[in-house]
Amino acid sequence: MKRRTAAAAGILAVGALALTACSSGGDEPAASGSSGSGDYAGQTLTVMHYEGEDSAMGIAWNKAIDIFEQETGATVNLQTTAFEDLNSSAEQLFDSSDAPDVSEYNKGNGTAGQLASIGVIQNLDKYYDEYGWGDKLASGIDTIAKYDENGVMGSGDWYGVPNYGEFVFLYYNKDMFDQYGLTVPTTMDELESDMQTFVDNGITPLTTSAQEYPMGQLWYQLALSQADRQWVNDYQLYQNPVDWTGKEVTYASSTLQDWISKGYISKDVSGMTAEDAGLQFINGESPMFYSGSWWYGRMLSDITDFNFGITNWPETTLTPGSGGNIWVIPAQSKNPDLAAKFIDITMSPEVQNLLGDSGGLPVAADASQITDPDAQTLISLFNEVNDKDGLSFYPDWPTPDFYGDLNSVMQGLVNGTYDATSANAQLGTYYEDYVSTVQ
Amino acid sequence: MSSSLPLVREQRRKRRPAEAARIPERSGSKLGYWLYFIPGAIAVGIVIFYPLVRNLRLSFFHWKGGRAEEHFAGLDNWIALFSDHEFLQSFRNIFLVVIAMVIIPTLLGLIISALLFDVVGRRFSGKLSSFLRATYYLPQILPIAVAGVMFSWILKPNSDGVLNQFLSAITGSTVEINWLGGSYGTAMGSVMVLMIWIQIGYPIVIFMAALGRVEPQLYEAAELDGANWFQRFRAITLPMIRPEVFVVALTTTIAALKVFAPVFILTGGGPTKSTYVPSFYAYNEFIKGPDKGYAATIASAITIVVFVVAVIFIQVQTRAERKDA
Repeated sequence: MKRRTAAAAGILAVGALALTACSSGGDEPAASGSSGSGDYAGQTLTVMHYEGEDSAMGIAWNKAIDIFEQETGATVNLQTTAFEDLNSSAEQLFDSSDAPDVSEYNKGNGTAGQLASIGVIQNLDKYYDEYGWGDKLASGIDTIAKYDENGVMGSGDWYGVPNYGEFVFLYYNKDMFDQYGLTVPTTMDELESDMQTFVDNGITPLTTSAQEYPMGQLWYQLALSQADRQWVNDYQLYQNPVDWTGKEVTYASSTLQDWISKGYISKDVSGMTAEDAGLQFINGESPMFYSGSWWYGRMLSDITDFNFGITNWPETTLTPGSGGNIWVIPAQSKNPDLAAKFIDITMSPEVQNLLGDSGGLPVAADASQITDPDAQTLISLFNEVNDKDGLSFYPDWPTPDFYGDLNSVMQGLVNGTYDATSANAQLGTYYEDYVSTVQ
Repeated sequence: MSSSLPLVREQRRKRRPAEAARIPERSGSKLGYWLYFIPGAIAVGIVIFYPLVRNLRLSFFHWKGGRAEEHFAGLDNWIALFSDHEFLQSFRNIFLVVIAMVIIPTLLGLIISALLFDVVGRRFSGKLSSFLRATYYLPQILPIAVAGVMFSWILKPNSDGVLNQFLSAITGSTVEINWLGGSYGTAMGSVMVLMIWIQIGYPIVIFMAALGRVEPQLYEAAELDGANWFQRFRAITLPMIRPEVFVVALTTTIAALKVFAPVFILTGGGPTKSTYVPSFYAYNEFIKGPDKGYAATIASAITIVVFVVAVIFIQVQTRAERKDA
C-alpha cells in the first residue's frame, strides 16, 4: 500500500457502518435537537477536546461547532488541551468552577469509570432517551459508555458518548517481505517462521515498546488469542476471578519470553517509547509493528520509500479495540442541555461522514460515502474484527494504574527481571490489589 | 584605592545620627508590625498550611477522589506505607539522588569555583573566569523538560543513541547499551548524570559569589609563603565560604528529597518501577491510583522527612556559626 494522502480518511467510517448496520438510527437525519431557531443566542457553551487541528476528529469537531453555532445561535468557547494533561487533571477540573460544559475524555474503568463512580461526570441517561444515541451504538462500542456504581464499564448508566472506533493490528513492510520471499502470516506458525527468516538475515522482525503501551497490547493480543469472550468479561468486567496461572496469560508471557530469547523482539524495547517503535517501522528498520489504527494515517503520509500492508493478528477471534474516546458532561457543567445538543450534532451523519472522510472511524456514518481504497482496506480489516464480535478493549483498563503496572512488568520480562511465571504472578498481584476493592 | 576606604567609612559614620533622626518614633503599639505581617500570614496559611493540614488529615482516610465519600482509615495507610516495596525502593533511591544532586555537585562546585577564582581568575583573566562560570550555569536555565528530552535522545538504547555511537567510535566495536531500560544500574546512573549536569552550575555560582568577599591579597600572601593550591583551598577558600556551603547543601538536599522531573521525563520510573522516587510515586498514586488517601500518606511522609532534614541542617549551621563567633 503506497502512501496516499487522502486515503486514511474514510477508512473507518465504513467499518463503523458495519457496527451500526443493525441499528435503527444510522440513516436518520442529523440531530433532532437542532431546532435551528437560534433560541440560545447570547449563551456560551465551553467545549474541551484534545484532538489535533488537522486530525480526523479535530476536523469533525470543528464542523460540529460550526453547525452547533448556526443551529442554536449560541457561541462556542473552544478550549483545546493535551490528552495527558486532561488525563491527569480531569478529576479536579471537572468538579471545579472552571469545568467545561462538555469535554472529550478517555474511556475505560480507570478513567471515565473512575470519574463516574466519584460523581465528577454527569449521568446521561435522560439525554440518551431524548436523542436515541443508544440506537446508534453497536454492542462493543456501547460498552465503554456505561458504568456501574463502582466505575466498571459495560453495565449501569450512560456516562459518555463514543463517536468513533479504533483497533489494533499488524503493520508489515511489504518490500521486506518480498525481499525474503515471505508471505503475509495467516497462522502463528507462519508468523514465527517469517520472524525466524528475518532473524537469520540479521533483522529484528518485530518492533515494539515496553516503556509505553505497544508491548502491553501485544501481550494482551497473545492472551486474547487463547481466550474467549467470557475471559474478556472476567478480566475487564470482573465477572469471575482471573486465573493468573491460566492458559491465556501463560501463553502470552511465555510466548513473549520465547520471542525475546530468539531475537524476534529486541531487548532494547524496554527503553523505547511507542514513538521510537513506530519510527523504526516508518524508517524501514523493522518489518513488523503491532499497534493501533491511530497510526494508520501517519503511516500513509510518512512512509514514502516502501510499501506497507496491514493484517489482523493470525489465529485470533478477539482483538484489542473499542469505541474511541467519549464525550462527557462534567458535574459542574453550566449548560448540560446545550452540551447534549452539541454531542448530538457530533453524532449527525454530516459530522460522522466528515470524520470518516478525514481518516477517522465514525460510528454512525454512511458507508457509501467512503470510496478511498486505503480507507476501504482499513475498514474491511475492522469489519473482520466486528464480524467476529472481536473488540476486546485494552489491557490497561481493569485498574486505574494498570497501564504503568503492565509496562513495568513488560520491561522486566524483556530485561530478565521476570520470567513468564513471575511476570504473571506480579501482574496478578497488581490486578487483585485493586479489583478486590471493587468487588 | 585603599587609602580612600577610611574616608568613606568616616563619612558614613557622620551621616548616621542624621538618618536616625528621620526615623519616626514608635507609637508605643506593635499594631503596625502586625498589619504588615497579616497579608503574608494569610498567603502562607492558604498556600502552605491549609494544604499541609488537609494532606496530613487525608492520610488517615481512604478516598477515591471527587465527590466520593471519605472513609476513616486510622493508621492503615501509614502501616501499609512501611511495607510497600515501591515506596521503600523510592526512598532508597533518594540516597542516590542526594549523591547526584548534593554531594557530587557541591564537592565539584567547591573545587571548580576555587580553581576558577584562584587560578583562572588570577592567572588568566576575570572575564574568562566569568565566562566559564556562565557555561557551567547554562544547564540551570534550561527547562528540565528540554534537558530530559535531550538526554533521552543521547541515551537511546540502540545504535541511534548519541552516546552509543560515541562509544562505538572510540572502542571500534558496536556498542548498544540499553541505558534507560536495560537495568536498574544503567537507568538510575543515567538519571544521576542528568541531575549532576543540571545541578553543577548552582554551587559554582554561589561559591564564586562568596569568594568575591575574599581579599585577593590573602591568596597572594599564602602563595608567597609557599602554600600550594590545595593548602590555599583548605586554609582560605573553605573557611570563607562555609556559610554558602551550608546554604547550598540545605537547598539541594531539599530539592533532592522532592525530585520529580528527571525521573518522570527520562525513565517514567522504569525499568520495572526501579527508579521511582517518592514524589514521582506520590504523583502516580494521586493521578492514577485508586486511593488518594494513600497518595496523601506518601506526600506527608516526604514533607516530614524534608522538615526534619531542614531542621537538622539549620541547627548544625547555627552551632557552627556560634562556634565561629
